[in-house]
Amino acid sequence: MNALLTSAVAGLTAGGTYALLGVCAVFTYRLVAVVNFTGAAIGTAGTFVLIALFEAGFPIWPSVLAGIAAGTATGVAVGYVMTRWFGEASASTKAAVTVALLVGLIAVGLRLTGGQHPHNMPELFPGSAFRLAGVEVTIASVLTIGLAVLFTILSDLFLNRTKIGLNLRALADRPMAAELLGVRVQLLSLLVWGMTGAFTTFALMIIAPQRSPNFMTLSLLVVPALAAALIGVFRSFWWTLAGGIALGIVEGLASSIDSVSQYRSAIPFLVVLAVLLWSQREARWDEAR
Amino acid sequence: MSRLVVSNLSINRAELPVVTSVDLVAESGAISVVLGANGAGKTTLLEGLSGIIPVAGGTIAIDGRELQKARPGARSREGLAHVEQGRTVFRQLTTEENLRVSLHPGADIAEAYALFPELVQRRAVKASLLSGGEQQMLVIARALLTRPKVLLIDEMSAGLAPVIVTRLMTAVRKLADDGLAVVLVEQFAALALSIGNRAYVMRRGRVVHDGDCARLRQSPDELHRLYLGGAESAVPA
Ligand SMILES: Nc1ncnc2c1ncn2[C@@H]1O[C@H](COP(=O)(O)OP(=O)(O)OP(=O)(O)O)[C@@H](O)[C@H]1O
Ligand SMILES: [Mg+2]
Repeated sequence: MNALLTSAVAGLTAGGTYALLGVCAVFTYRLVAVVNFTGAAIGTAGTFVLIALFEAGFPIWPSVLAGIAAGTATGVAVGYVMTRWFGEASASTKAAVTVALLVGLIAVGLRLTGGQHPHNMPELFPGSAFRLAGVEVTIASVLTIGLAVLFTILSDLFLNRTKIGLNLRALADRPMAAELLGVRVQLLSLLVWGMTGAFTTFALMIIAPQRSPNFMTLSLLVVPALAAALIGVFRSFWWTLAGGIALGIVEGLASSIDSVSQYRSAIPFLVVLAVLLWSQREARWDEAR
Repeated sequence: MSRLVVSNLSINRAELPVVTSVDLVAESGAISVVLGANGAGKTTLLEGLSGIIPVAGGTIAIDGRELQKARPGARSREGLAHVEQGRTVFRQLTTEENLRVSLHPGADIAEAYALFPELVQRRAVKASLLSGGEQQMLVIARALLTRPKVLLIDEMSAGLAPVIVTRLMTAVRKLADDGLAVVLVEQFAALALSIGNRAYVMRRGRVVHDGDCARLRQSPDELHRLYLGGAESAVPA
């Protein structure tokens, strides 16, 4: 029993990261209508700037800030490509473009970071926050989950209480009508890309030490993130949040059972499949869009 | 006093010319009515003016400032407002939120409610739940809060009850009287001509008539001939 709990809790950090990446994916989808496959890769780019600076001997916290700035800039760059050249494209074309961009980012990233070469990723928040039924809960897991909750609450407040948020909702509803009213559509879209870039970078910095920090593995965290977003039907922040955390816990549990542990990376895929099949039956996919 | 001057404007759609060499003027205090059968190119003309689609040639100027290369947002900030065909309210936003999106720093939401008091009690209702007439009032009011010099309106009466159409026409006439330059695209030829000043009739992308609204109203046969030209559809009410 305690062993099970230990492995479930061990999945929390991953769960928090999936949740945050998933919430960012929903945010991007709802506001600029792009299913973004580059989300994790953008954060990975920022994380590797941190690693590079750290390995070059720079102090940690300035390197973290530089990394977040780099992740934000990468997000804005991807957003620029999407709004400038694919603004009028269909949702499926946009999604395909982000897949292509993901492949490009991974190729460039692997080249620049020396492929599978191991890196020295500093643990930003080592140690445990508290004990739950005798099991250590790490600071990292509390932080990622906290960050995901914070992002969810902040986006809610931001969208519903501010003028920029109002303009963003108008933009999401009818981009052309918003532009005709003088709303600065491109600037706002880039803001969305920059914000999600910053948050995902920070989340990936926290989780990177627990994964093998190579560019490809971290970039592919987009798969569980999109699985979480799918649990929220790309609409509900809170369901996405819960879905991401649940995915992490299930993954943690699976890793403790020998016979299934080698298949645990297939879990997001199974979840995606299950949600899609279920949504087809209920025909809720269209309604959610 | 503001003046929209469109010269020799051409617009293509899917590589084919849809608007060809159009000249048009709209001035403060006046309504320029644009009539024409289905498919004549009226909507395309307005979309070219506001920047939704690029123009192939010609110029668009407000008070001498050329706008044909600017993005829609920039044209809006230069004083051009476009009320699109199809009542493009922000469906997920309430009436009041719709109005706040476009609110110019020098404007006040009360102006919108003064023009259309009907909207006051609907202020907290999601725009997708408003009636067709209320939605039309909302998109006109929303455009006004950008403090435009020139207002383009496309088919505002489509699908609405005659009493509502009259209500909207009266409101648009008042806006012109208050100093706005209006370009009104309409299917209801008779009503539009009764509130308008200058009349343009389009056929197959060209302006085939440019004259006085009152004159055209008095000669329905002439209007009929202009609409039909060759073998296109009949003239609507
Ligand atoms: N997106 C498009 N792609 C290609 N051709 C188009 C497109 N939209 C309209 N057209 C064509 O352009 C022509 C003019 O259409 P437009 O919508 O401007 O006419 P309209 O005068 O507004 O008609 P209506 O009274 O029906 O609104 C039509 O022949 C139409 O088929
Ligand atoms: Mg039309």
